[in-house]
Amino acid sequence: MNIRLGAVVLCLLMPALALAGEYDLTVDRVEIDTGDFVKQGIGYNGKSPGPVLRFKEGETVRINVTNNLDEMTSIHWHGLILPYQQDGVPGISFPGIKPGETFTYEFPIQQAGTYWFHSHSGFQEPDGAYGAIVIEPEGREPFRYDREYVVQLTDKHPHSGDRIMRNLKMMPDYYNRKQQTVGEFFSDSSEQGFWNTVRDRLAWGDMRMMKADVEDLQGFTGLINGKGPEQNWTGLFEPGERIRLRFINSSAMTYFDVRTPGLDMTVVQADGNNVQPVTVDEFRIGVAETYDVIVRPRDEQAYTIFAESMGRSGYARATLAPEEGMEAAVPPLREPARLTMADMGNMHGMDHGNMDMGSSDDMAGMDHSSMSGMDHSGMSGMDHGSMMMDNQAQNDPFYARGSGLVPTAANGGKFLSYADLRAQNPLYEEREPTREIELRLTGNMERYSWSINGVKYEEADPIRLQYGERVRFKFVNETMMTHPMHLHGMWSILDVGAGQWNPIKHTINVNPGTTVYMETEVDEPGQWAFHCHLSYHAAAGMFRKVIVEGGPDSQQAKTEAMAEDGGEA
Amino acid sequence: MNASNLIVAGLAFSMSVSAFAAGTHGGGHGHGASIGEPGKASEASRTITVEMHDNYYEPEEIRVKPGETVRFVVQNKGNLVHEFNIGTPGMHEAHQKEMRMMVEHGVIQGNKLNHDMMNMDMGNGHSMKHDDPNSVLLEPGQSREVVWTFANQGNIEFACNVPGHYQSGMYGDVNFE
Repeated sequence: MNIRLGAVVLCLLMPALALAGEYDLTVDRVEIDTGDFVKQGIGYNGKSPGPVLRFKEGETVRINVTNNLDEMTSIHWHGLILPYQQDGVPGISFPGIKPGETFTYEFPIQQAGTYWFHSHSGFQEPDGAYGAIVIEPEGREPFRYDREYVVQLTDKHPHSGDRIMRNLKMMPDYYNRKQQTVGEFFSDSSEQGFWNTVRDRLAWGDMRMMKADVEDLQGFTGLINGKGPEQNWTGLFEPGERIRLRFINSSAMTYFDVRTPGLDMTVVQADGNNVQPVTVDEFRIGVAETYDVIVRPRDEQAYTIFAESMGRSGYARATLAPEEGMEAAVPPLREPARLTMADMGNMHGMDHGNMDMGSSDDMAGMDHSSMSGMDHSGMSGMDHGSMMMDNQAQNDPFYARGSGLVPTAANGGKFLSYADLRAQNPLYEEREPTREIELRLTGNMERYSWSINGVKYEEADPIRLQYGERVRFKFVNETMMTHPMHLHGMWSILDVGAGQWNPIKHTINVNPGTTVYMETEVDEPGQWAFHCHLSYHAAAGMFRKVIVEGGPDSQQAKTEAMAEDGGEA
Repeated sequence: MNASNLIVAGLAFSMSVSAFAAGTHGGGHGHGASIGEPGKASEASRTITVEMHDNYYEPEEIRVKPGETVRFVVQNKGNLVHEFNIGTPGMHEAHQKEMRMMVEHGVIQGNKLNHDMMNMDMGNGHSMKHDDPNSVLLEPGQSREVVWTFANQGNIEFACNVPGHYQSGMYGDVNFE
């Protein structure tokens, strides 16, 4: 009765509330100049990155997208909660946008924060088709700042996405220049003994992985807001002001470790959702993630924003300064991290040759519970509030114990961990999940084939969820690469062991050799994409379609019957 | 290399514990003539209600007369632990280090306080009680009074020094008429 009444009142109010914002985007061939090289790419309104779209919570937006390319295109609104037909994934949400056509997206804005948009067709996104979204909240924010900047990162490569994919398929280490050398073999031998070194190398050979595979795409120039390190994007400030920096990682493949030497950063938002503020010296931003931080430069001097790639093969750089043209020192790249046997988990000795046969029986004998360093289920009773800071670096529960990837702050200070993230204002009531779905992240580096549960997208059945249920996803990373897993259309509640305070995200990093849990309230009908956000992993098959069955009649997916004109990555 | 880093980190930690125990917190942040002194409720010229939300105050600015005694009724209307603390920016910065220690020791746990831990003897008669007259530390739903006689002027803010809160803007200005 009450609910009905509420619905009627809502319907009456709707027309008044629905302020319609109208936006126009053209998809164009553009020239991209990184300072290191100039290349042809794809952009929006004549530029890459495209414009910052500024929406208001509560409005309904109409976005007219005109395709000026000679190929299909699409735009996905990354992290936005919207009807699935507006989600922009060719073959899942809609057929795509044909050359010369204008497609009008229309959806209500039901959230606030920092997000981004990008093409979901072929490799248009790595080729430059991305931009930022900033949504102003209806009410006041739980923090204050005097000015704000979008800081959008990418890894711009001189090769086109298509060419990179061809090369990786032909020779998976094509872009991995940091492979261990014969010289390193002898220096390792003298430190660790000949047989230990041989055994180590043999084990890695068995994994069909190279030990330096922290990144499988090197040779890029890091960009911030489209500017290379020499072009030095600069944000101005008055000393004493609080500045909100909206970091967005729009890279195809690259994780960045971000710091602002001389300034600590207070993280207030992750993936568009407010978190309880945590002050750090450095943080790692996975592909497709966003982090909003507040910095407060008090002195009349320039500060560098320094974003080193996780594998230390490149960096992006920008500056905060009281005046244009000022700059601060740019730190050197640190030594690259090396994966260790721990990053292989307990799969050491396992025959990975069997993995790509898609037989789950081969895996049945594997004891996941013995991955003690990684299993979060045992941590739920742990009080993270009482965790001491000084052993945090060694014990980040989101890395395999003994992992070579555990990040440390350049100044010896605090490095953000997923374990630090707490929802500022939980979006959902906590409740028991209705069931658990295990997703093993699988692959074979030697063949550059990536999959989920050993099955590539083309050969896989969709994941079917029931409207109204709460599903617990268990990601088991059996590869040695980090995978940023992105579920479209519904939130990913990351289990950090904080119960109702678990943070809400749209992209969840799963580090090598670890198991990570997230829960999803299945509250949006339709069909959605669910994939690794590393462009070339998604294209190689680490991708699933999710179908939500049931829900409000009018919105149910007319499933399966979708034409698939535009490619899926 | 790693081991020596660990030792250094351990040392730094125990040093700050002893600095802490040596007791800036046991009355330290009430010092300094510039901010004024605890007042008597009977001398208060008026009452100002300050609501604490996640993570901001209402109001975010107050005006006082030089030497005025004000009775503050501080209410925590948020879902997290918050502090109301009268001090200079420098005092707040020093206090933030202590508050970080309180979080690390599990005294402040997001939305609640561990009172046993607060009363624990840290040696030399010091504890993490947080009982200075210029501040209150409140759980969600709690309300308490601070009566304060301001000095004639000064660079004074009221602030929440729970880690991250001040940095993200949970402070208010005290302006002298």
